[in-house]
Amino acid sequence: MILLVAILAGLVVGLFLTRLQKRPWTVPPLRKPWLVIIAFLPQFFNLYLPATRTRVADKFASAGLIVSLILLLFFCWFNRRLSGMWLLALGLAMNLLIIAANGGFMPISPQTVSRIVSPEILATLGNGDRFGYKDILLLPEQTRLIWLSDYFLPPEGFPYQVAFSLGDVFIAAGAFWLMVTQGKALDAKNNSKG
Amino acid sequence: MKNQIVKLFIFTQKINRQHIQIALALLALGLFVLGAGAPADGGGVLPH
Repeated sequence: MILLVAILAGLVVGLFLTRLQKRPWTVPPLRKPWLVIIAFLPQFFNLYLPATRTRVADKFASAGLIVSLILLLFFCWFNRRLSGMWLLALGLAMNLLIIAANGGFMPISPQTVSRIVSPEILATLGNGDRFGYKDILLLPEQTRLIWLSDYFLPPEGFPYQVAFSLGDVFIAAGAFWLMVTQGKALDAKNNSKG
Repeated sequence: MKNQIVKLFIFTQKINRQHIQIALALLALGLFVLGAGAPADGGGVLPH
């Protein structure tokens, strides 16, 4: 959910900037948006929807996640000319890489989890257990490409504690940039003015 | 009742192709970040 805030923030800033420039804000002209909906379906049924997620074996859930991420990469390719899309694609590729390298789920260490859940809940979790929607609890020494995992946390005392990856940062930045610029390259905007 | 139907009809006429495109693009972007990102927050222990 935290990543949706990036879209909302981009929308607010984009609307503000276009109002200053006295021109209408338009939604980024995405090509093949239906591809995202299709790509999201395996995640929706295997990871998000409570009625179905408990019935799907981890092996199928992880395979579905990887297929879904690959389809989203295709979407990035079709929209590669939009400003901000490369940031989105880079973040997505980073998450895909670490998920594929660690058995199909995003690794998170017990130390990181201890910051976002209570000790009682942590005590019920074992190494290799699923955590959240896409994560798997793994010791740092068992994690490949650990610097791409859900390794980062906001400062202690921050009211909303969430673990996120470097890929998530790029995805948030890309979504924000796409909304602010409406998918148009800034130099193209300048050229159109001149 | 008849009034409501007339209002609904007028409302649906105001929804044009552009509105649908905007809604679809925003939906696609929202699903993209949900699908591509993998943050984990405190509500994260779910039955598997």
